[in-house]
Amino acid sequence: MRIVCPFCGERELGEYTYLGDAKPQRPAADAGEDAVYDYVYLRDNIAGVMSEHWYHGGGCRAWLKVTRNTLTHEISAVEPTAGAGAAKVGV
Amino acid sequence: MAEFSWDVRSPLDRALVVGPYGSTGDAGVSLTEIRNFDLIQVMARRGKAAETAKAAKARFGVAAPETPKAVGTTDATLIWSGPDQFLVLSKGGKHTIEALAPVFAGSASLSDQSHARALISISGAKARMALAKLSSIDLHPDVFPVGAAAATSMDHTSVTLWRGRDRAEAVFSLLVFATFAESLWNTTLDAAAEYGVAIAHAADLG
Ligand SMILES: [Zn+2]
Repeated sequence: MRIVCPFCGERELGEYTYLGDAKPQRPAADAGEDAVYDYVYLRDNIAGVMSEHWYHGGGCRAWLKVTRNTLTHEISAVEPTAGAGAAKVGV
Repeated sequence: MAEFSWDVRSPLDRALVVGPYGSTGDAGVSLTEIRNFDLIQVMARRGKAAETAKAAKARFGVAAPETPKAVGTTDATLIWSGPDQFLVLSKGGKHTIEALAPVFAGSASLSDQSHARALISISGAKARMALAKLSSIDLHPDVFPVGAAAATSMDHTSVTLWRGRDRAEAVFSLLVFATFAESLWNTTLDAAAEYGVAIAHAADLG
């Protein structure tokens, strides 16, 4: 598998580290225990298209959001996460 | 208090043995460690990429690379090292962290990497063949011309790799973390041995 880093170009899988599902959002400070438990521990086991966080640690050290089909490994989109390279994400 | 002093030594001081290595005959690969350089990492602060670029242009007379490239100035090389960041490689104390601090005050964070990295220059008729065993980057001149750079990994070790000015033939430069330098040096020697290697160290950036 190869991932096209928006900063570096196409690179082999060995340069990347997988974090996991990019969907969970940190709940508000007063959201309550259930919401925090859900955020920290509960994950969907998706068979199909999934949004994931990957780290290009063996390259530019940017965090990326990768849209990948877990059944076929087909990657349909790769974007920088917020804060990774102001030039590309406009922050 | 006991007398104590630090010796400034290259991280390759022990591993590097000047002379020929591997196959005898004409050396296909030249491996030269460059010693005593200044290396400063410049990282734009959040929202300050444009200001950092402006400050770099004013200081160096050329734009700092915003894509994986290495740009030569009159007295330094600016090497892309990631989004909104680049390395300033120079000699003779012209662009030390003390000299650059006021230039980028308020726009970028600086980190002195002068003694944190080893710099290895790889050239020769078989340089690309030897590097192909270690790197997944295509170094063919059509896709990796003079001025191309990459933040990548070799033998599971993070490196900054670029192609500087040719000296009769292509010259590849490699920056590697000091503590990984010896390991990568030995791996590179293994890769190059079949072509014959000429090992040296130098003080000039070339
Ligand atoms: Zn990258």
